[in-house]
Amino acid sequence: MRLVFDAEACVGHGRCYALAPELFDADDQGHCVVLVEVVDAAQADRARQAVNNCPEEAIRLDP
Amino acid sequence: MDPSAAVYPEQRAANPYLPEVAADPLPFYERLRRECPIANMEGLDEGTHIISRYEDVKFALKHPEIFSSDLVAVDIGQDRPLIPLQVDPPEHAKYRRVMDPQLGPSVIGHLEDEMRKLANELIDGFAGRGAVDFHAEFSVPYPCTVFLQLTGLPLDQLDQFLTWKDNIIRPEVDFGDIEAATRVRHETGKAMYSYFEGVIDDRLANPGDDIITRFVQAEIDGQTMSREEILDICYLFILGGLDTVTSTLDCSIAYLAQHADRQRQLADDPSLVPHAVEELLRLHTPVMQVLRVVVTEHEMHGVTMRPGDTVMVMLGSADTDVDEFGHTADDYDLQREVNRHLAFGGGPHRCLGSHLARLELKVALEELHRRLPAYAVAEGATLDYSPGIREIASLPLVFDPKAVA
Repeated sequence: MRLVFDAEACVGHGRCYALAPELFDADDQGHCVVLVEVVDAAQADRARQAVNNCPEEAIRLDP
Repeated sequence: MDPSAAVYPEQRAANPYLPEVAADPLPFYERLRRECPIANMEGLDEGTHIISRYEDVKFALKHPEIFSSDLVAVDIGQDRPLIPLQVDPPEHAKYRRVMDPQLGPSVIGHLEDEMRKLANELIDGFAGRGAVDFHAEFSVPYPCTVFLQLTGLPLDQLDQFLTWKDNIIRPEVDFGDIEAATRVRHETGKAMYSYFEGVIDDRLANPGDDIITRFVQAEIDGQTMSREEILDICYLFILGGLDTVTSTLDCSIAYLAQHADRQRQLADDPSLVPHAVEELLRLHTPVMQVLRVVVTEHEMHGVTMRPGDTVMVMLGSADTDVDEFGHTADDYDLQREVNRHLAFGGGPHRCLGSHLARLELKVALEELHRRLPAYAVAEGATLDYSPGIREIASLPLVFDPKAVA
């Protein structure tokens, strides 16, 4: 599965890197940086949690 | 009064500014969303629209080209738009580009030890008594001390700063006396501008390791900001930095004080605290609403909003909308899987201090539940919530002083 991130939509709520720091990090402005683009089954739950908690819906998990 | 009675569907109007609504807003929000999704502010003409459904609130926050933040119409004693709160994109992004890093997660993270130490000192101050006015002895001094350290402003002038921000946010005038409120705000605004002129002079002459110095030195497109721009930032900082975390702590601790099982849950398993922070922010959304002004004609649920109209974007209502949060929208649920709450707003104006606020709240909830035994609201106490931003004037708690850790 692939994490697809929309940098235009991100405003730096920081929910993704708080919930799944192994998959996301923050840039100096607090906006999201995707660390792991292709996630395996073991990482999928946490990836989904980040997707589900982004108020801007800036992250997607594609099959 | 039943808070839902402050919605008047026949007149398509509502009044979120009543203390009864601030004390228990959920029934008000529910009726507003269901019966009156676009309401006029009671007593005002048709040019004020209250937006309450999650999808509509989110739309308004994400479309600054329709719903502008350039609030010339909203007089909070300012001479110019506050930066970055009242500036629209694309100019807004230039300010955020230099301001966000100063309040970003990596910078803020360094404050955690200091916050923890402070939280414990404040707890030590009342632990032996078994009784505390939590508002006065924790909710106010904790975030304010952190903020003053961050900005390098003198702690011994905190009372002055608090008076200023209260004069602007909730001026003590007779209910509905808008003229008197405007007068208080303008006098306060003048005093704030004059005070911060001095602060800027000082930072130019004696640069320090504080955030105001960093703003004075910051460059946008190769140029430092003007004195007026720095003043417009400082004005906002006094309002944002000294009020909202206090209100969030008041609302959160008042709720937990009335739910012993939920206190115990956090004491037993501190790893739940970050989830509790999010759920308390969502359920209690201390900043009930933010304001926008219509700049492009727009229709919502059959109501036409015209340029110049004021829009009250009810964040608190969005955050308890069943269409977004499901049938548990009004419950405190630490297992919630989808929590896209808008307590910090959303879109380009997402609260600049949200990383600071989240860390302050996490540390406070961890230390309070590590050290305090079961606490409850003192018998006979009435909790007065202020409308708009839900501060509780006094929050008397009792606990067993012998059981403090």
